[in-house]
Amino acid sequence: MTSFFKRRRYGLISLLMLLPGLASFFGLFFYPMLVTVVRSFRPEGLTEGWTLEHYAGFLGQASTRQVILLTFFLAIACTLLSIVLSVPLTLLLRQKLAGHRLFRLTILIPITVPGLVGALGLLLFYGSRGWLNLLLIQGLRVVQDPVKINYTLTGLVIFYVWHYFSYTAVTTLSTLEGLDPAFEEAARVAGASPWQVLRHVVLPLIMPGILAGSVLTFMAAFGAFSIPLITGGSYRPLAVQIYKQIEVYTPARWEAASAMAVVMALLQLVFLTFYMRVLRRPSAS
Amino acid sequence: MKTLRQYLRALLNAKRLLAYTFLLCFFLWVTTPFLMILLKSLGRNWFGKLWLPPEFTLDWYKWAVTVTNIPEVLRNTLIIAGIAVGISTLIAIPTGWALGRRKIPGKEVIMSTILLPRMIPPIAYALGVAQIFYRLHLIDTHLGVAIAHVAICAPYAILVLASTFEGLDERVLEAASVCGANNLRTFFHVTLPLVMPGILSSIIFTFTTSYNEFTLTLMTYGPKTITLPVRTYLAVGEGYWEVTSALSMILIIPSLFVLFMIQRQVQPEKLVGGFKGV
Repeated sequence: MTSFFKRRRYGLISLLMLLPGLASFFGLFFYPMLVTVVRSFRPEGLTEGWTLEHYAGFLGQASTRQVILLTFFLAIACTLLSIVLSVPLTLLLRQKLAGHRLFRLTILIPITVPGLVGALGLLLFYGSRGWLNLLLIQGLRVVQDPVKINYTLTGLVIFYVWHYFSYTAVTTLSTLEGLDPAFEEAARVAGASPWQVLRHVVLPLIMPGILAGSVLTFMAAFGAFSIPLITGGSYRPLAVQIYKQIEVYTPARWEAASAMAVVMALLQLVFLTFYMRVLRRPSAS
Repeated sequence: MKTLRQYLRALLNAKRLLAYTFLLCFFLWVTTPFLMILLKSLGRNWFGKLWLPPEFTLDWYKWAVTVTNIPEVLRNTLIIAGIAVGISTLIAIPTGWALGRRKIPGKEVIMSTILLPRMIPPIAYALGVAQIFYRLHLIDTHLGVAIAHVAICAPYAILVLASTFEGLDERVLEAASVCGANNLRTFFHVTLPLVMPGILSSIIFTFTTSYNEFTLTLMTYGPKTITLPVRTYLAVGEGYWEVTSALSMILIIPSLFVLFMIQRQVQPEKLVGGFKGV
Protein backbone atom coordinates (compact mmCIF):
# COMPACT_ATOMS: atom_id res chain seq x y z
CA MET A 1 0.00 0.00 0.00
CA THR A 2 2.70 2.46 0.96
CA SER A 3 4.75 1.62 -2.10
CA PHE A 4 1.69 2.33 -4.23
CA PHE A 5 1.35 5.78 -2.69
CA LYS A 6 5.05 6.35 -2.96
CA ARG A 7 4.95 5.55 -6.67
CA ARG A 8 1.92 7.75 -7.07
CA ARG A 9 3.67 10.58 -5.30
CA TYR A 10 6.80 10.15 -7.42
CA GLY A 11 4.78 10.34 -10.63
CA LEU A 12 2.81 13.30 -9.38
CA ILE A 13 5.95 15.29 -8.58
CA SER A 14 7.44 14.51 -11.99
CA LEU A 15 4.24 15.63 -13.68
CA LEU A 16 4.06 18.78 -11.60
CA MET A 17 7.60 19.69 -12.56
CA LEU A 18 6.93 18.98 -16.23
CA LEU A 19 3.86 21.19 -16.22
CA PRO A 20 5.53 24.58 -16.88
CA GLY A 21 7.26 23.23 -19.98
CA LEU A 22 4.12 21.53 -21.25
CA ALA A 23 2.03 24.63 -20.51
CA SER A 24 4.37 26.83 -22.52
CA PHE A 25 4.32 24.29 -25.36
CA PHE A 26 0.53 24.08 -25.50
CA GLY A 27 -0.11 27.77 -24.85
CA LEU A 28 2.55 29.26 -27.09
CA PHE A 29 2.92 26.70 -29.82
CA PHE A 30 0.10 24.17 -30.02
CA TYR A 31 -2.80 26.55 -29.47
CA PRO A 32 -1.44 29.24 -31.85
CA MET A 33 -0.80 26.54 -34.45
CA LEU A 34 -4.39 25.32 -33.96
CA VAL A 35 -5.66 28.88 -34.41
CA THR A 36 -3.63 29.15 -37.61
CA VAL A 37 -5.04 25.86 -38.92
CA VAL A 38 -8.67 26.74 -38.05
CA ARG A 39 -8.29 30.21 -39.50
CA SER A 40 -7.02 28.77 -42.77
CA PHE A 41 -10.42 27.10 -43.30
CA ARG A 42 -12.49 30.24 -42.56
CA PRO A 43 -13.91 32.47 -45.32
CA GLU A 44 -11.91 35.69 -45.65
CA GLY A 45 -12.70 38.15 -42.87
CA LEU A 46 -15.30 35.94 -41.16
CA THR A 47 -15.12 34.00 -37.89
CA GLU A 48 -17.63 31.34 -38.88
CA GLY A 49 -18.14 28.87 -41.68
CA TRP A 50 -15.76 26.52 -43.41
CA THR A 51 -14.14 26.78 -46.80
CA LEU A 52 -11.27 25.34 -48.77
CA GLU A 53 -10.96 28.34 -51.06
CA HIS A 54 -7.64 29.55 -49.59
CA TYR A 55 -5.97 26.22 -50.21
CA ALA A 56 -7.53 25.98 -53.66
CA GLY A 57 -6.52 29.57 -54.38
CA PHE A 58 -2.95 29.18 -53.17
CA LEU A 59 -2.25 25.73 -54.58
CA GLY A 60 -4.06 26.55 -57.81
CA GLN A 61 -1.86 29.52 -58.68
CA ALA A 62 0.83 28.89 -61.25
CA SER A 63 3.32 30.92 -59.20
CA THR A 64 2.87 28.73 -56.12
CA ARG A 65 4.90 25.92 -57.58
CA GLN A 66 7.74 28.31 -58.29
CA VAL A 67 7.63 29.68 -54.76
CA ILE A 68 7.79 26.20 -53.24
CA LEU A 69 10.55 25.18 -55.63
CA LEU A 70 12.51 28.33 -54.78
CA THR A 71 12.17 27.67 -51.04
CA PHE A 72 13.39 24.10 -51.41
CA PHE A 73 16.16 25.09 -53.83
CA LEU A 74 17.52 27.72 -51.44
CA ALA A 75 17.37 25.40 -48.42
CA ILE A 76 18.97 22.44 -50.19
CA ALA A 77 21.67 24.50 -51.95
CA CYS A 78 22.52 26.17 -48.65
CA THR A 79 22.70 22.82 -46.85
CA LEU A 80 24.98 21.21 -49.45
CA LEU A 81 27.31 24.20 -49.68
CA SER A 82 27.50 24.38 -45.89
CA ILE A 83 28.72 20.78 -45.80
CA VAL A 84 31.25 21.49 -48.57
CA LEU A 85 32.57 24.45 -46.56
CA SER A 86 32.42 22.85 -43.12
CA VAL A 87 34.32 19.64 -43.77
CA PRO A 88 37.66 21.14 -44.90
CA LEU A 89 37.28 23.98 -42.40
CA THR A 90 36.79 21.70 -39.41
CA LEU A 91 39.51 19.31 -40.56
CA LEU A 92 41.93 22.26 -40.54
CA LEU A 93 40.71 23.61 -37.21
CA ARG A 94 41.17 20.22 -35.64
CA GLN A 95 44.91 20.38 -36.26
CA LYS A 96 45.10 23.25 -33.78
CA LEU A 97 47.24 25.50 -35.94
CA ALA A 98 48.35 28.73 -34.30
CA GLY A 99 45.39 31.07 -34.00
CA HIS A 100 42.77 28.34 -34.30
CA ARG A 101 40.82 29.86 -31.42
CA LEU A 102 40.12 32.97 -33.48
CA PHE A 103 38.81 30.91 -36.39
CA ARG A 104 36.68 28.83 -34.03
CA LEU A 105 35.08 32.00 -32.74
CA THR A 106 34.59 33.19 -36.33
CA ILE A 107 32.30 30.22 -36.98
CA LEU A 108 29.96 31.45 -34.26
CA ILE A 109 29.70 35.03 -35.51
CA PRO A 110 26.86 34.47 -38.03
CA ILE A 111 24.58 32.83 -35.46
CA THR A 112 25.21 35.28 -32.64
CA VAL A 113 24.83 38.58 -34.49
CA PRO A 114 21.31 39.60 -35.53
CA GLY A 115 20.50 38.28 -38.99
CA LEU A 116 19.45 41.71 -40.21
CA VAL A 117 22.85 43.21 -39.44
CA GLY A 118 24.57 40.39 -41.29
CA ALA A 119 22.27 40.91 -44.25
CA LEU A 120 23.02 44.64 -44.33
CA GLY A 121 26.78 44.00 -44.26
CA LEU A 122 26.52 41.42 -47.02
CA LEU A 123 24.50 43.80 -49.19
CA LEU A 124 27.23 46.45 -48.72
CA PHE A 125 30.09 44.02 -49.34
CA TYR A 126 28.64 42.40 -52.47
CA GLY A 127 27.06 45.60 -53.82
CA SER A 128 28.14 47.24 -57.08
CA ARG A 129 30.33 49.65 -55.06
CA GLY A 130 31.31 47.05 -52.46
CA TRP A 131 34.77 45.73 -51.81
CA LEU A 132 34.26 42.50 -53.71
CA ASN A 133 33.53 44.35 -56.95
CA LEU A 134 36.37 46.79 -56.27
CA LEU A 135 38.70 43.84 -55.85
CA LEU A 136 37.50 42.26 -59.10
CA ILE A 137 37.67 45.50 -61.09
CA GLN A 138 40.67 47.35 -59.65
CA GLY A 139 42.59 44.65 -57.81
CA LEU A 140 42.44 41.61 -60.06
CA ARG A 141 41.19 43.41 -63.20
CA VAL A 142 39.17 40.38 -64.27
CA VAL A 143 35.99 42.27 -65.09
CA GLN A 144 35.15 45.73 -66.45
CA ASP A 145 31.69 46.28 -65.01
CA PRO A 146 30.54 45.44 -61.51
CA VAL A 147 29.22 41.90 -61.13
CA LYS A 148 25.63 41.92 -59.95
CA ILE A 149 25.27 39.70 -56.90
CA ASN A 150 22.75 41.42 -54.66
CA TYR A 151 19.12 40.49 -55.32
CA THR A 152 20.12 37.60 -57.60
CA LEU A 153 19.61 33.90 -56.93
CA THR A 154 23.37 33.30 -56.60
CA GLY A 155 23.63 36.15 -54.14
CA LEU A 156 20.77 34.81 -52.09
CA VAL A 157 22.44 31.39 -51.87
CA ILE A 158 25.71 33.03 -50.74
CA PHE A 159 23.83 35.00 -48.07
CA TYR A 160 22.02 31.88 -46.88
CA VAL A 161 25.28 29.95 -46.56
CA TRP A 162 26.86 32.84 -44.66
CA HIS A 163 23.99 32.89 -42.19
CA TYR A 164 23.34 29.20 -41.68
CA PHE A 165 26.58 27.25 -42.23
CA SER A 166 27.46 27.64 -38.52
CA TYR A 167 25.08 24.87 -37.45
CA THR A 168 26.78 22.35 -39.73
CA ALA A 169 30.29 23.57 -38.90
CA VAL A 170 29.85 23.53 -35.11
CA THR A 171 28.26 20.08 -35.05
CA THR A 172 30.89 18.67 -37.42
CA LEU A 173 33.69 20.20 -35.37
CA SER A 174 32.42 18.76 -32.09
CA THR A 175 32.03 15.31 -33.67
CA LEU A 176 35.51 15.53 -35.12
CA GLU A 177 37.02 16.55 -31.77
CA GLY A 178 35.30 13.62 -30.10
CA LEU A 179 36.82 11.21 -32.60
CA ASP A 180 39.32 8.77 -31.17
CA PRO A 181 42.68 9.36 -32.94
CA ALA A 182 43.43 5.65 -32.53
CA PHE A 183 41.26 4.87 -35.60
CA GLU A 184 43.34 7.06 -37.83
CA GLU A 185 46.62 5.90 -36.36
CA ALA A 186 45.58 2.30 -36.94
CA ALA A 187 44.72 3.08 -40.55
CA ARG A 188 47.99 4.94 -41.06
CA VAL A 189 50.04 2.15 -39.51
CA ALA A 190 48.26 -0.26 -41.83
CA GLY A 191 49.70 1.79 -44.71
CA ALA A 192 46.82 4.02 -45.77
CA SER A 193 47.66 7.32 -47.43
CA PRO A 194 46.33 10.50 -45.75
CA TRP A 195 43.70 10.74 -48.49
CA GLN A 196 42.60 7.15 -47.87
CA VAL A 197 42.45 7.75 -44.13
CA LEU A 198 40.24 10.75 -44.74
CA ARG A 199 38.03 9.04 -47.30
CA HIS A 200 37.59 5.65 -45.63
CA VAL A 201 38.07 6.32 -41.93
CA VAL A 202 37.45 9.90 -40.88
CA LEU A 203 34.58 10.86 -43.18
CA PRO A 204 32.42 7.78 -42.46
CA LEU A 205 33.00 8.28 -38.72
CA ILE A 206 31.98 11.93 -38.68
CA MET A 207 29.09 11.44 -41.13
CA PRO A 208 26.41 11.31 -38.38
CA GLY A 209 27.68 14.63 -37.01
CA ILE A 210 27.75 16.27 -40.44
CA LEU A 211 24.24 15.08 -41.21
CA ALA A 212 22.83 16.12 -37.83
CA GLY A 213 24.28 19.59 -38.39
CA SER A 214 22.94 19.70 -41.93
CA VAL A 215 19.42 19.05 -40.63
CA LEU A 216 19.73 22.15 -38.46
CA THR A 217 21.04 24.20 -41.38
CA PHE A 218 18.20 22.93 -43.56
CA MET A 219 15.53 23.82 -41.01
CA ALA A 220 16.92 27.31 -40.50
CA ALA A 221 17.22 27.89 -44.26
CA PHE A 222 13.75 26.55 -45.03
CA GLY A 223 12.12 28.81 -42.46
CA ALA A 224 14.39 31.79 -43.23
CA PHE A 225 12.46 35.01 -43.07
CA SER A 226 14.49 38.11 -42.26
CA ILE A 227 17.28 37.39 -44.76
CA PRO A 228 15.14 36.92 -47.89
CA LEU A 229 12.83 39.71 -46.68
CA ILE A 230 15.52 42.36 -47.09
CA THR A 231 18.01 40.71 -49.46
CA GLY A 232 15.70 38.67 -51.66
CA GLY A 233 14.45 41.41 -53.98
CA SER A 234 11.98 39.75 -56.33
CA TYR A 235 12.84 36.27 -55.00
CA ARG A 236 10.32 35.54 -52.29
CA PRO A 237 10.40 32.18 -50.53
CA LEU A 238 7.33 30.92 -48.65
CA ALA A 239 7.93 32.74 -45.36
CA VAL A 240 8.17 36.11 -47.12
CA GLN A 241 5.11 35.38 -49.27
CA ILE A 242 3.12 34.64 -46.10
CA TYR A 243 4.19 37.90 -44.50
CA LYS A 244 3.35 39.86 -47.66
CA GLN A 245 -0.28 38.67 -47.37
CA ILE A 246 -0.47 40.61 -44.12
CA GLU A 247 1.76 43.56 -44.90
CA VAL A 248 0.72 44.42 -48.46
CA TYR A 249 -3.05 43.90 -48.36
CA THR A 250 -5.51 46.05 -46.40
CA PRO A 251 -7.35 44.52 -44.68
CA ALA A 252 -4.68 41.90 -44.04
CA ARG A 253 -5.44 38.51 -45.58
CA TRP A 254 -5.00 36.48 -42.38
CA GLU A 255 -6.94 33.51 -43.69
CA ALA A 256 -4.94 33.20 -46.89
CA ALA A 257 -1.68 33.68 -44.95
CA SER A 258 -2.74 30.96 -42.50
CA ALA A 259 -3.44 28.52 -45.33
CA MET A 260 0.02 29.17 -46.78
CA ALA A 261 1.61 28.77 -43.34
CA VAL A 262 -0.10 25.40 -42.86
CA VAL A 263 1.17 24.25 -46.26
CA MET A 264 4.69 25.44 -45.35
CA ALA A 265 4.68 23.70 -41.97
CA LEU A 266 3.43 20.46 -43.55
CA LEU A 267 6.08 20.61 -46.29
CA GLN A 268 8.81 21.10 -43.70
CA LEU A 269 7.54 18.25 -41.51
CA VAL A 270 7.20 15.85 -44.44
CA PHE A 271 10.64 16.71 -45.76
CA LEU A 272 12.27 16.42 -42.33
CA THR A 273 10.67 13.02 -41.67
CA PHE A 274 11.84 11.84 -45.07
CA TYR A 275 15.33 13.30 -44.52
CA MET A 276 15.75 11.70 -41.10
CA ARG A 277 14.60 8.36 -42.44
CA VAL A 278 17.11 8.52 -45.28
CA LEU A 279 19.83 9.59 -42.83
CA ARG A 280 19.16 6.76 -40.43
CA ARG A 281 19.47 4.06 -43.06
CA PRO A 282 23.23 4.17 -43.80
CA SER A 283 24.18 4.54 -40.14
CA ALA A 284 22.06 1.53 -39.23
CA SER A 285 23.77 -0.79 -41.70
CA MET B 1 40.65 11.03 -59.79
CA LYS B 2 44.38 10.87 -60.41
CA THR B 3 44.71 14.63 -60.77
CA LEU B 4 42.67 15.05 -57.64
CA ARG B 5 45.05 12.79 -55.78
CA GLN B 6 48.06 14.68 -57.11
CA TYR B 7 46.40 17.92 -56.14
CA LEU B 8 45.82 16.66 -52.63
CA ARG B 9 49.40 15.46 -52.35
CA ALA B 10 50.66 18.88 -53.42
CA LEU B 11 48.30 20.34 -50.90
CA LEU B 12 49.81 18.22 -48.16
CA ASN B 13 53.30 19.38 -49.12
CA ALA B 14 52.43 23.03 -49.02
CA LYS B 15 49.99 22.23 -46.27
CA ARG B 16 50.60 24.99 -43.83
CA LEU B 17 50.55 27.82 -46.35
CA LEU B 18 47.40 26.59 -48.04
CA ALA B 19 45.71 25.93 -44.73
CA TYR B 20 46.31 29.47 -43.62
CA THR B 21 45.18 30.91 -46.96
CA PHE B 22 41.94 28.97 -46.68
CA LEU B 23 41.37 29.97 -43.06
CA LEU B 24 42.17 33.58 -43.81
CA CYS B 25 39.76 33.68 -46.76
CA PHE B 26 37.13 32.15 -44.51
CA PHE B 27 37.82 34.69 -41.80
CA LEU B 28 37.57 37.59 -44.26
CA TRP B 29 34.42 36.16 -45.86
CA VAL B 30 32.69 36.12 -42.48
CA THR B 31 33.98 39.39 -41.06
CA THR B 32 34.37 41.86 -43.95
CA PRO B 33 30.61 42.60 -44.06
CA PHE B 34 30.95 44.06 -40.55
CA LEU B 35 33.94 46.14 -41.59
CA MET B 36 31.83 47.49 -44.44
CA ILE B 37 29.06 48.44 -42.01
CA LEU B 38 31.58 50.13 -39.73
CA LEU B 39 33.07 52.15 -42.60
CA LYS B 40 29.64 53.03 -43.97
CA SER B 41 28.55 54.27 -40.55
CA LEU B 42 31.65 56.47 -40.18
CA GLY B 43 32.05 57.73 -43.75
CA ARG B 44 30.70 60.75 -45.55
CA ASN B 45 30.35 61.20 -49.33
CA TRP B 46 31.40 57.64 -49.99
CA PHE B 47 30.36 57.24 -53.60
CA GLY B 48 32.00 55.85 -56.68
CA LYS B 49 34.85 53.41 -56.82
CA LEU B 50 36.65 54.21 -53.59
CA TRP B 51 37.99 51.67 -51.11
CA LEU B 52 37.62 54.01 -48.15
CA PRO B 53 35.28 56.92 -47.49
CA PRO B 54 36.91 60.30 -48.26
CA GLU B 55 35.81 61.91 -44.96
CA PHE B 56 35.04 60.46 -41.57
CA THR B 57 32.24 61.69 -39.35
CA LEU B 58 30.22 60.68 -36.31
CA ASP B 59 27.09 62.44 -37.56
CA TRP B 60 25.28 59.25 -38.51
CA TYR B 61 25.50 58.03 -34.91
CA LYS B 62 24.00 61.31 -33.70
CA TRP B 63 21.26 60.85 -36.29
CA ALA B 64 20.72 57.28 -35.16
CA VAL B 65 20.32 58.37 -31.55
CA THR B 66 18.03 61.33 -32.23
CA VAL B 67 16.00 60.30 -35.27
CA THR B 68 15.54 56.59 -34.64
CA ASN B 69 15.25 57.07 -30.90
CA ILE B 70 17.88 54.54 -29.88
CA PRO B 71 17.68 54.88 -26.07
CA GLU B 72 13.96 54.11 -26.11
CA VAL B 73 14.37 51.23 -28.56
CA LEU B 74 17.27 49.77 -26.61
CA ARG B 75 15.26 50.01 -23.39
CA ASN B 76 12.37 48.12 -25.04
CA THR B 77 14.70 45.44 -26.34
CA LEU B 78 16.38 44.89 -22.98
CA ILE B 79 13.12 44.85 -21.00
CA ILE B 80 11.60 42.33 -23.41
CA ALA B 81 14.72 40.15 -23.42
CA GLY B 82 14.85 40.33 -19.59
CA ILE B 83 11.24 39.19 -19.18
CA ALA B 84 11.67 36.47 -21.80
CA VAL B 85 14.84 35.16 -20.12
CA GLY B 86 13.17 35.21 -16.70
CA ILE B 87 10.06 33.32 -17.79
CA SER B 88 12.04 30.81 -19.87
CA THR B 89 14.43 30.06 -17.03
CA LEU B 90 11.58 29.63 -14.52
CA ILE B 91 9.90 27.24 -16.93
CA ALA B 92 13.09 25.38 -17.79
CA ILE B 93 14.44 24.68 -14.29
CA PRO B 94 11.59 22.38 -13.10
CA THR B 95 10.96 20.91 -16.55
CA GLY B 96 14.65 20.35 -17.22
CA TRP B 97 15.01 18.74 -13.79
CA ALA B 98 12.11 16.38 -14.42
CA LEU B 99 13.38 15.44 -17.89
CA GLY B 100 16.96 15.06 -16.74
CA ARG B 101 16.59 13.25 -13.42
CA ARG B 102 13.21 11.51 -13.19
CA LYS B 103 12.03 8.24 -14.66
CA ILE B 104 9.22 9.32 -16.92
CA PRO B 105 7.39 7.02 -19.34
CA GLY B 106 7.65 8.35 -22.90
CA LYS B 107 10.42 10.82 -22.07
CA GLU B 108 11.68 10.84 -25.66
CA VAL B 109 8.24 11.74 -26.96
CA ILE B 110 7.86 14.57 -24.43
CA MET B 111 11.31 15.89 -25.32
CA SER B 112 10.69 15.94 -29.07
CA THR B 113 7.26 17.47 -28.49
CA ILE B 114 8.80 20.31 -26.53
CA LEU B 115 11.36 20.78 -29.32
CA LEU B 116 8.68 20.86 -32.02
CA PRO B 117 8.58 24.70 -32.14
CA ARG B 118 12.13 24.54 -33.44
CA MET B 119 11.15 22.28 -36.32
CA ILE B 120 8.20 24.31 -37.61
CA PRO B 121 8.91 27.64 -39.35
CA PRO B 122 8.27 30.39 -36.74
CA ILE B 123 6.10 32.38 -39.14
CA ALA B 124 3.50 29.57 -39.05
CA TYR B 125 2.72 29.86 -35.34
CA ALA B 126 3.60 33.56 -35.20
CA LEU B 127 0.38 34.11 -37.21
CA GLY B 128 -1.62 32.28 -34.53
CA VAL B 129 0.20 34.02 -31.68
CA ALA B 130 -0.61 37.42 -33.23
CA GLN B 131 -4.30 36.58 -33.57
CA ILE B 132 -4.58 35.32 -29.98
CA PHE B 133 -2.69 38.34 -28.66
CA TYR B 134 -5.00 40.73 -30.52
CA ARG B 135 -7.91 39.17 -28.64
CA LEU B 136 -6.07 39.31 -25.28
CA HIS B 137 -4.82 42.89 -25.91
CA LEU B 138 -1.23 41.75 -25.50
CA ILE B 139 -0.09 43.31 -28.79
CA ASP B 140 2.26 46.27 -28.27
CA THR B 141 2.98 45.49 -24.61
CA HIS B 142 6.42 44.49 -23.32
CA LEU B 143 4.93 41.45 -21.61
CA GLY B 144 3.15 40.35 -24.77
CA VAL B 145 6.20 40.52 -27.02
CA ALA B 146 8.27 38.79 -24.31
CA ILE B 147 5.74 35.96 -23.95
CA ALA B 148 5.80 35.49 -27.71
CA HIS B 149 9.59 35.16 -27.49
CA VAL B 150 9.24 32.49 -24.80
CA ALA B 151 7.69 30.24 -27.48
CA ILE B 152 11.16 30.06 -29.08
CA CYS B 153 13.36 30.59 -26.01
CA ALA B 154 11.84 28.00 -23.67
CA PRO B 155 12.64 24.92 -25.82
CA TYR B 156 16.30 26.02 -25.95
CA ALA B 157 16.43 26.55 -22.20
CA ILE B 158 14.72 23.22 -21.41
CA LEU B 159 17.07 21.40 -23.76
CA VAL B 160 20.21 22.87 -22.19
CA LEU B 161 19.02 22.38 -18.60
CA ALA B 162 17.76 18.83 -19.17
CA SER B 163 21.19 17.80 -20.41
CA THR B 164 22.85 19.65 -17.51
CA PHE B 165 20.67 17.93 -14.89
CA GLU B 166 21.23 14.60 -16.61
CA GLY B 167 24.99 15.07 -16.39
CA LEU B 168 25.00 15.53 -12.59
CA ASP B 169 27.06 13.07 -10.64
CA GLU B 170 24.72 10.73 -8.74
CA ARG B 171 27.33 10.14 -6.00
CA VAL B 172 27.41 13.79 -4.92
CA LEU B 173 23.65 13.79 -4.41
CA GLU B 174 23.83 10.51 -2.51
CA ALA B 175 26.57 11.92 -0.31
CA ALA B 176 24.29 14.85 0.54
CA SER B 177 21.43 12.60 1.57
CA VAL B 178 23.77 10.34 3.53
CA CYS B 179 24.90 13.42 5.43
CA GLY B 180 21.27 13.98 6.42
CA ALA B 181 20.08 16.63 3.98
CA ASN B 182 16.47 16.27 2.92
CA ASN B 183 15.40 16.48 -0.71
CA LEU B 184 14.68 20.20 -0.82
CA ARG B 185 17.87 21.03 1.04
CA THR B 186 19.86 18.85 -1.35
CA PHE B 187 18.23 20.59 -4.30
CA PHE B 188 18.94 24.14 -3.15
CA HIS B 189 22.37 23.60 -1.58
CA VAL B 190 23.90 20.90 -3.79
CA THR B 191 22.05 20.45 -7.08
CA LEU B 192 21.41 24.10 -7.88
CA PRO B 193 25.02 25.30 -7.37
CA LEU B 194 26.21 22.35 -9.47
CA VAL B 195 23.95 23.22 -12.39
CA MET B 196 24.70 26.96 -12.20
CA PRO B 197 26.97 26.86 -15.29
CA GLY B 198 24.14 25.19 -17.23
CA ILE B 199 21.66 27.81 -16.06
CA LEU B 200 24.10 30.53 -17.04
CA SER B 201 24.56 29.14 -20.54
CA SER B 202 20.81 28.73 -20.89
CA ILE B 203 20.41 32.39 -19.91
CA ILE B 204 23.01 33.41 -22.50
CA PHE B 205 21.21 31.47 -25.25
CA THR B 206 17.76 32.71 -24.40
CA PHE B 207 19.01 36.27 -24.12
CA THR B 208 20.66 36.14 -27.56
CA THR B 209 17.62 34.45 -29.07
CA SER B 210 15.24 37.06 -27.69
CA TYR B 211 17.57 39.95 -28.47
CA ASN B 212 17.86 38.85 -32.11
CA GLU B 213 14.29 37.61 -32.52
CA PHE B 214 12.63 39.17 -35.52
CA THR B 215 9.74 37.07 -36.88
CA LEU B 216 7.71 36.86 -33.67
CA THR B 217 8.43 40.50 -32.78
CA LEU B 218 7.30 41.68 -36.20
CA MET B 219 3.94 39.96 -35.69
CA THR B 220 3.36 41.30 -32.17
CA TYR B 221 5.09 44.69 -31.92
CA GLY B 222 3.53 48.13 -31.93
CA PRO B 223 4.69 51.74 -31.74
CA LYS B 224 5.53 51.38 -28.03
CA THR B 225 7.47 48.12 -28.32
CA ILE B 226 9.80 48.63 -31.27
CA THR B 227 12.89 46.49 -30.68
CA LEU B 228 16.32 46.91 -32.26
CA PRO B 229 15.92 44.26 -34.97
CA VAL B 230 12.54 45.72 -35.98
CA ARG B 231 13.99 49.23 -35.96
CA THR B 232 16.84 48.09 -38.20
CA TYR B 233 14.34 46.52 -40.57
CA LEU B 234 12.30 49.72 -40.69
CA ALA B 235 15.49 51.75 -41.25
CA VAL B 236 16.50 49.50 -44.15
CA GLY B 237 13.07 50.18 -45.65
CA GLU B 238 13.53 53.93 -45.19
CA GLY B 239 16.71 53.65 -47.23
CA TYR B 240 19.20 55.72 -45.20
CA TRP B 241 22.06 53.24 -45.35
CA GLU B 242 24.48 55.35 -43.32
CA VAL B 243 22.05 55.73 -40.42
CA THR B 244 21.06 52.08 -40.67
CA SER B 245 24.75 51.15 -40.48
CA ALA B 246 25.23 53.26 -37.37
CA LEU B 247 22.16 51.59 -35.87
CA SER B 248 23.55 48.16 -36.73
CA MET B 249 26.87 48.91 -35.07
CA ILE B 250 25.00 49.70 -31.85
CA LEU B 251 22.86 46.59 -32.32
CA ILE B 252 25.80 44.18 -32.47
CA ILE B 253 27.59 45.34 -29.31
CA PRO B 254 25.67 42.96 -26.99
CA SER B 255 26.15 40.16 -29.54
CA LEU B 256 29.91 40.61 -29.34
CA PHE B 257 29.68 40.44 -25.56
CA VAL B 258 27.67 37.22 -25.85
CA LEU B 259 30.24 35.82 -28.28
CA PHE B 260 32.94 36.54 -25.72
CA MET B 261 30.87 34.85 -22.99
CA ILE B 262 30.24 31.81 -25.16
CA GLN B 263 33.91 31.38 -25.79
CA ARG B 264 34.63 31.46 -22.07
CA GLN B 265 31.65 29.64 -20.58
CA VAL B 266 29.85 27.45 -23.02
CA GLN B 267 30.66 24.65 -25.40
CA PRO B 268 29.46 25.96 -28.73
CA GLU B 269 27.97 22.63 -29.76
CA LYS B 270 25.36 23.12 -27.07
CA LEU B 271 24.24 26.22 -28.89
CA VAL B 272 23.08 24.22 -31.86
CA GLY B 273 22.65 20.83 -30.19
CA GLY B 274 19.57 18.83 -29.52
CA PHE B 275 19.61 16.65 -32.56
CA LYS B 276 22.60 14.56 -31.66
CA GLY B 277 22.51 11.06 -33.04
CA VAL B 278 20.04 11.82 -35.78
